[in-house]
Amino acid sequence: MERDSNTKTQVVLQGNEACAKGAVYAGCRFFAGYPITPSTEIIEMLSGEMQKAGGAFIQMEDEIGSACAIIGARWGGSKAMTATSGPGYTLMQEAIGFAAVTETPIVIVNVQRGGPSTGQPTLSSQQDIYQARYGSHGDYGIIVLAPSSVQEMYDFTVKAFDLAEQFRGPVILLADEVVGHMREKIEIFSGDRRVSSPKKKYAISPSTDFFKGANTLVEGQLHDEMGRRIGHMADKSGAFIEKITRKIEDNVDMIADVTTYCMEDADVAIVAWGSVARPSLNAVKKARGIKDDRILPKFRVVRDLVKRGVRETMHTDYSHLKVGLIKINTVWPFPEELLQQAAENVDTVIVPEMNIGKYCREIQRALPDKKVVPLPKCGGNIHTPKELLDKILEEVGVDE
Amino acid sequence: MRINVRFAGAGGQGVILASVLLAKGYGLGEDYNIAQTQSYGPEARGGACKAEVVVSDEEIDYMKVDTADVFIALNQVGYDKYIDEVSKEGLVLINSTLVESDDPNHYRIPATEIAEEMGKPFVVNIVILGALTRLLPKVHAPAIQEEIKKNFAASIAGINLDAFETGYREMSRLLDERNETQPAMKLVKKTA
Repeated sequence: MERDSNTKTQVVLQGNEACAKGAVYAGCRFFAGYPITPSTEIIEMLSGEMQKAGGAFIQMEDEIGSACAIIGARWGGSKAMTATSGPGYTLMQEAIGFAAVTETPIVIVNVQRGGPSTGQPTLSSQQDIYQARYGSHGDYGIIVLAPSSVQEMYDFTVKAFDLAEQFRGPVILLADEVVGHMREKIEIFSGDRRVSSPKKKYAISPSTDFFKGANTLVEGQLHDEMGRRIGHMADKSGAFIEKITRKIEDNVDMIADVTTYCMEDADVAIVAWGSVARPSLNAVKKARGIKDDRILPKFRVVRDLVKRGVRETMHTDYSHLKVGLIKINTVWPFPEELLQQAAENVDTVIVPEMNIGKYCREIQRALPDKKVVPLPKCGGNIHTPKELLDKILEEVGVDE
Repeated sequence: MRINVRFAGAGGQGVILASVLLAKGYGLGEDYNIAQTQSYGPEARGGACKAEVVVSDEEIDYMKVDTADVFIALNQVGYDKYIDEVSKEGLVLINSTLVESDDPNHYRIPATEIAEEMGKPFVVNIVILGALTRLLPKVHAPAIQEEIKKNFAASIAGINLDAFETGYREMSRLLDERNETQPAMKLVKKTA
């Protein structure tokens, strides 16, 4: 096959389709899945694309089978992925733990919908944030990426495969219905990606290339470097658990990815992940350019603002209400240091989430001196910029 | 410049497909970014369905539509539900076979009737899309026609292309009647 990986093409794609394209580009050659709204388009597209790329596609009997099949496929030598939504993701938890303990690099896409149970098939949520980290029983480390645009669906899928190989374990792409079903203009690569093997692999087992034909003992019980059971030995077992957790948690600086907008002089920050970052950015822009007589000279920036008078359009003028956005791209391992650096000078942090208010706890833990204001929203609709803006105005002391 | 477009109708009318083709009509040219989203119920047909397209020459942050600049109603339920969420100078296009309204500013096209006369009722969305293409500025019509060819099996691509052209032609005729020659919507808009 001709390797023309430098050719970029502009296309209009749905988030789910972009994810499928990204997987094939990243070298994924095995996909097993069971269709579920709102992730079905990934499966639909890969049912054709996988064959074209010379890989294998299986529609499994359920999500348990899907997750187990991709673990087996990875042992057999193929990069592998599955995609699902909340109910299916719950079924996959056992296999995720198994992938973590056997250090099998797989990618699982969870296009979140409203839960619990069958919940809201066609509406969005961010309710699986903790399940993505702590869903399987026992202790382990896991990497979770949260895309907020169709381009990121593509890019993060590719990145997920890289991180899975490098850190030898399951990587979750935690998307949601809004991103999954949205269509945008993006750039994708054609041809095969030239994959350079990661320099250092973070695995306990020395036979890291058991995917290439080496004889290896695969063991779900805690095991030593040769795959022999150590579950009955407390000291060795303890060390094993620490290793599979710390290979992720201690390397957070290599994994963490946080994007900031207008944070240079901000007093208020919105911290968002996934699709909610999009209306948040809109609200930040609006706040920066807000023309509003209601603003009281309570807030220190606002005093200058009132004195100077406010321009009508300030789409590009970042000098008024000093609000910024911190967008967390790698939600787990928690990018504590990056968040602390980004939010160093702010007083208030607003955390919008499409759930009952979960990730805000983690943020409060990392920023004990700041006022962390949760802005949860359940029901399936994404926050509107107005809702965010109202919260910002409320926090800076503007009463409507 | 940011244009917020909203389509509303019933599941099965092709609401989402029309919005996707419009998004591609803008997006596949060089000039515009697009974000297309949709919301629908679990039913395959009959439930309320809404699709939105944001077109902008800047990067699009908020991808949904709160107040529409362009509103297309394919049925009465959709019209009643969203007509109040259209901006003051907004452009409204209705499927006049199924939507009743006495607002003289609305643009009307009897899309269902036209589609039924063509013998293929399912092309109603493409008739509407043809009419809309005539009304909106700078839509890349050839890109839409190309997408129609790509999206449909050869056996029905022809009828859909016909539907697109019929909608476009009908709207031209209507604009002549109203003595409007330019696309009704100006491109200069305040940033949303």
